[in-house]
Parts: sequence; structure tokens; C-alpha cells
Amino acid sequence: MIRLGTAINTIADFLRERFPVEKLNYHSMVEKKEVPIHRMSWGYYTGGLTMFFFMMQVITGLFLLFYYQPTVSDAHVSVEYINKHVAGGALIRNMHAWSSSCMIFFAMVHLLTAFAMKSFVKPREITWIAGVLLLFITFTFGFTGYLLPWNQIAVNATKVGLQSVEYVGQYLPGQLADVPRILRETFQGESSVGQSTLGRFYALHVVILPFALAGLLGLHLLSVQLHGMSQGVDQPAKRSEKFMSIFVFKDLTLWATVFLILFVLALCVPFESFLPFPLLSPFNALGSTPAGIKPEWYFYFVYYPLELLPFWVILVASLVVVGILFFTPWIFKGTSRRTLGFIALLAAAYLVIMTVFGEQIYHFFKH
Amino acid sequence: MKGVGWTMIDILLFVVLPYLAIFICVFGSIYRIRTAPLTYSSLSSQFLENKGLLWGSLPWHLGIILILLAHVVAFLLPGFWQSLMSNFSILLAVEAIGLGLSVLCVLGLVVLGIRRLTSSKLQSVTSTMDLVVTLLLLLQVGLGAAIAVHHRWGASWCSGTTTPYVWSIITFQPDISHITDLPVLVKAHIIGAWMFLFIIPFSRLIHMFAVPIEYLVRPPQNVVWTNPRKWATEEDAFAADETRRHFVRAFCGIAFGGFLLGVGTLRNIFLFFFGPRLSRKEETEMMELRLSRLESTVDQRKLELERQAANYILVCQFSELSAETGKYFIDYKMQPAIAFKGKDGLPLLISAKCTHLGCTVGNNVDNQGRILCPCHVSYFDIETGQPNAEAPAKAPLPHIGWVIMDERGKILARRNADGRTEGVIAAENQGSARVYIAKSQEAQA
Repeated sequence: MIRLGTAINTIADFLRERFPVEKLNYHSMVEKKEVPIHRMSWGYYTGGLTMFFFMMQVITGLFLLFYYQPTVSDAHVSVEYINKHVAGGALIRNMHAWSSSCMIFFAMVHLLTAFAMKSFVKPREITWIAGVLLLFITFTFGFTGYLLPWNQIAVNATKVGLQSVEYVGQYLPGQLADVPRILRETFQGESSVGQSTLGRFYALHVVILPFALAGLLGLHLLSVQLHGMSQGVDQPAKRSEKFMSIFVFKDLTLWATVFLILFVLALCVPFESFLPFPLLSPFNALGSTPAGIKPEWYFYFVYYPLELLPFWVILVASLVVVGILFFTPWIFKGTSRRTLGFIALLAAAYLVIMTVFGEQIYHFFKH
Repeated sequence: MKGVGWTMIDILLFVVLPYLAIFICVFGSIYRIRTAPLTYSSLSSQFLENKGLLWGSLPWHLGIILILLAHVVAFLLPGFWQSLMSNFSILLAVEAIGLGLSVLCVLGLVVLGIRRLTSSKLQSVTSTMDLVVTLLLLLQVGLGAAIAVHHRWGASWCSGTTTPYVWSIITFQPDISHITDLPVLVKAHIIGAWMFLFIIPFSRLIHMFAVPIEYLVRPPQNVVWTNPRKWATEEDAFAADETRRHFVRAFCGIAFGGFLLGVGTLRNIFLFFFGPRLSRKEETEMMELRLSRLESTVDQRKLELERQAANYILVCQFSELSAETGKYFIDYKMQPAIAFKGKDGLPLLISAKCTHLGCTVGNNVDNQGRILCPCHVSYFDIETGQPNAEAPAKAPLPHIGWVIMDERGKILARRNADGRTEGVIAAENQGSARVYIAKSQEAQA
């Protein structure tokens, strides 16, 4: 009994330090908050930007919800209807597409900067873990949303994506080998990607994931405000500015600028212009998969290595990376920000190179 | 220069008055600036009364500067202005903003007027001319607002009336035929405009030539009383002032951006929810498309149902088979498959679900007798089903058994899943023979 008591106490102490109730007021969370000024200060804006793009996603997504129909016979027609006939429909849809990519991009930048600025050490472990979960939810958003237009590339890329889950089964022993297949069929809902899959992905994309993300985001923001901005550099910065209203208005100014860019971009460049037309025609169950099926750019960093290396290598590497991400607050507790910055830079270089030159690298090794 | 139907009064008001006003304005202002340079301002009363000034002067100047700017652009760049106004949305926006700004001006002027009339401190520094100017401004702005209400789309019709008139005055070829038929309100507004030019040198209006534009960008300055009691709070005053300045600037920017966004997108946002109203032709096309997609879904469902019930499923006519281009069909597991004509002249049925990640394999046979999965480039030999050595797919595509029946349902030949073939097809039957897949064979496989 004594052991149990100490365990509970340890947990209570842990939570007490992460959620200091005495700071739970407007004065210490907003009025007193200061944002340090140093050479990495720009990192403080990346999280806000990600949240801005999420808000854009919610707004444009609600707009699209008025016309989109999640059935295999109507999904593609309804998307076409939005694009062709609804006033501003093409713009809204295009903003949704561009903003989704931007959200993922800035989520990754935010992760890397937060890592480099060591914003995960005590008492910010929960902030970090919530952030990692938010990133995974964001990726799931991308994967589920991709299927909804029900065109060739959407359905075929989803098929490939789900099938690779099943591939994990071959490395699992005994009864466990069947788990990935059961998992895939649960998500798929039937023997092939069809109406059941569309229904499930739709429910995930417009209800379950948004609620999950909003809840976690609340936790994330609450802990950010409770603990204030992390110092960000090894030598504590000498200068700082008020969070309210200097930093808030700078943030808003940035959001306004970014909105303008997004708006003009969505107005001028259709997101789908990067894909050849046959991939955008409605999915045809009776016919060959068209050439050039690949995932969205934000999956390239795992897709091209997957094409080049044996599956188990990628599997082990992904598990290691995910493990490191979740345990970062404890693994890198004693590492200096200089070293962390170097690691973040290496990771960024890998991501950029794989995303931009992935296809060339693939062709270089394969032909 | 004199046209038909110009009365003496017209010439006096619209030709003589303008030139007189311009002359007086230019030379009168120069004379006053030269002789009495210290009076060449609006004689600030900020120290005497501050609150009323904020709520009067700010809206008034904000409104009038933008309105005047629009007037100047309309008169100086008529082509540009006209091309802008030919877009109805922009015209609507300009008219609405103009009317809104004139209301802002009137409100500001009323506050300024009341302030002049009621504050005892201000009474001592208020001249008769100040009151005249306030009254005239109120009149002129009121006229402008009345025109905006009663003779709508002035931003558009000015390009055929007042703009050529102003140009004729500037270019010394006065021609009032453009404006003689205009409504009384508009004429009064024009006369009012010339009157203002006229009184500029004699009133506080001359301060418009001394606009301190650099104040917008210079570092902020604070006027502090030379009083020890006030010095104590000096630092707080500065900090508060700095914060307020920042707030006002950001607020203005966001409000203006939001306002522009609202004006620009409100109509579209409304139309988005209102929904499109399609023409009969578009509606028909849409319906047809919907129907065809529904029908293909229905076909798909029928296939699924058929696979539950039927013992045999038709693949195609025997004569339709080709050795080069396969025919897609859906097998009993609802997976895609392809039918070819094999080397032996008999059907060759092979699964089209790639054994790597489940893409649908292509149906064109290359010169080595292989079909290609385009997703990750695996070549499958159709005779053996084996993938090429470098392919990411490792397992072969399985073959599928078949049954050939004639029109009456008599079985002519069959190949079981294990590859054994029974029976032959006589030449005379080849035209009518049909290829099926059988449920019993599926069970065996």
C-alpha cells in the first residue's frame, strides 16, 4: 500500500509541475508573458502559422461540406460541381488543398525548430508529446482527405497506402502476422477500397480527426501559455517583448500576409495542375491503374526510400524515428542546443533532399 | 467658345467663377505664405480640448482625404477610372465606400462644430471664418451624399459629364455643355467646390498645403508639461502611448484588410451558399453525368450480387479474345483480372491484382509476352504469371480457370485451376462460344 501511495504521489507531483494551477489566470498566462528576442526568434511564429492554416482548413472545409457528397457514384461529380458551378467553389477547394500542404509543411518546420530550440525539456514534456501526436493527426488528415475526390490517383494511392500496412504482417510472428491485415480491412471496410472505405475516411476526415486535433491543440496551447516561451538559445536572451499585445499583433500581421499569399496562390495556381489529367479522371474499377501513381509530396520522404530499400529497413527506421520523437524530452535532456540545432539541420536536409530530388534519386539507383 | 443655350448665369458660375477661384487660390495662398507664414496652418486647438477633437477631427479627415483622393483620380486619370468603373462589383464597392465615408465626414463635422460652439476655451480662438468654413463644408459634404443617394452611380456617370468639364477648364477651353443638363444638386456641388478654392487663402483651409505627411513615419514625440508633478508619470505616459500607437496601427491595418476582404468577398460568399442556378443545358449535362455514374455503380453492385448467386459468370465472347490486348473482368473475389487468348488458341485468364501492393496490372502484352504493373514497374509473364527478377513483386500472378459454353449452355471445354484442360472447341462453334468463370473452380482454388 505504501508503494501505491508513493506512485500516486509521484504522478501527482509530475502533473503538478506540468500544470501549475496557481498560474492558471489571465495575468500570468497572457499579461505577464514575455517573448525572448534572439536569432532563433522566428521559430516562435511557426506554431502559430500551423494553427492559422488549421483554421483555414476548418473554414474552407466547412464550406466544402455544403456540396461534397461522400458516395462512390457522386463524390467525383460533386467535386466537379463545386469546381465548375458553385460561386467561388474552385477557389475554396483550391485554398483547402494549398492550405493543407502549408499546414503540413509548417507543422514539420515547427517540429524541427522546437527541437533545435530545446523546447521540450521539463516542464514542457507534455507540450512536446501533444505536438508529436498533432503532427501524426495532421498526416492522417492528409491521407484521409486525399481519397475524398474519388479520382484515379486518390483511390489507387489509397489502395497502395493501405496495402503497405498489410506488408508489415510478414515480419510478425504467429497469430500477430494477421493483425495488420485485420487492421487494413477495418479501415477499408470491405475487400477492396470502395464505398465503405469512402464512408470511413469521410467520417475520420470531417468529424473524428478535427475533434481529436482541436482537443490536443487545446492541451498544447494551454501548456504553452502556462509555461511561457522557452528560452530558445543556450545563452538566455537579454531582450524580450510583451506577448500581449506586441507579439500577438506581429503574429496577426504575419497571418494576414500569409492569408494574402494563400489567397492569390489559390486564385492563380490550381493545386491539381501538378498532376497529369488521367490521374484526375473518376476512378474506374474496371481498368489498369494509370501510370504515375504516387502519394502527396509530404509523404515522399518515406515513399522514395520505400521504393529503393527493402521494406523491413524502412519499417525499423520508422519505428526508431517515432520512438525517438516520443522520447525526445528524456533522450536529449542533456544535449546542448548547438548539437540539437545540428541534428535538426541534418533532418531538414534529408527531408528537403528527399522531397525535392526524390524522383531523381530513385531513377539514378533504379535505371 | 460659346455654345447654344448657355445663359449668362451659367457662364458666370461655371466659367468665370472657376478661373477667378483658381487665380485667387494660387496667388492668394502664395501671398499669405509669403507675408504671414506663421498663420499658414489650422491653428491647433489640441491643448485646449482633446477628446472632442479625436472623435471629430479623425473621422472627418479620414473621410474627406479618401473622398478627395477618389475625386482627384477620377478627374486626372479618366481612362483608368472608367475602366475600373466598368466592373459592376467595383462600382458598387466605390459607391458604397464613398457614401459611408461621407457619413463619416458629416459625423466628424458635427462633432467639430458642436465642440467649437460649446467649449468655452475654444470660443476665444474661434473666428467667424472658422464657423463659415465648418458650415460650408457641412453643406458641401451633405450635397455630395445627397447626390450619391438621389443620382446614383456618380462614379460612373462623371466620366461623361463633370470630368470633361474639369478638363476643359484646366486646358483653357471652357466647355460647359457637358454639365448644363445636370440636376440642381450636382450643379450646387460644383459651385461649392469652386467656392472652396476661393476661400482657401482667407481661412484655416490653407493648412491643406502644409500637411505634415512626414509625421506618419517620424519617430513618435511626446509633449510633456514643464511641471514636476507631471514629470513623475512621464515614463508611464510614454509606455502607454507607445502601446496605444502600436495597437491603433495594427487595429487599423486589420480592420482595413478585413473590410476590403469583406467587401470583396461578401457577394461571393453569399453566392457560394445560395448555390448555382444552372441553365437548362448545364442542368441536363449534370443530370446525365450523375445518372451515368449511378448506372456504373449499379452495374458494380449487380456484379457483386451476381457473384453471390450465379454458378458461372460471363467474361466475354470467345471471338473477342486477343493475344495482344487483354479484356478486363472482375473475378469471384471482386478483384480485377484479364482475359487473353493463349498460344494454344484457348483462353488465358490471369489475375490483374499486382502481388506487390495491389495495383491493377495493365492489359497490353509487350513483345516478350509480359504485362506491366505501372505502380512500381513489375513485368509479369502472362504464360507463367512470374514477375521479372528486378521487380518489387515477388509472387506470381495466379491463373484463373475457365469454362467455355455454347449458346445453349452446353459445356464445350474447361480448364481447372490446376491447369488441366479438357475438351476442344470445334471451328464451327468458335463464333458462338462464350468464356465463363465458374464458382466451383473458385472453390477449388
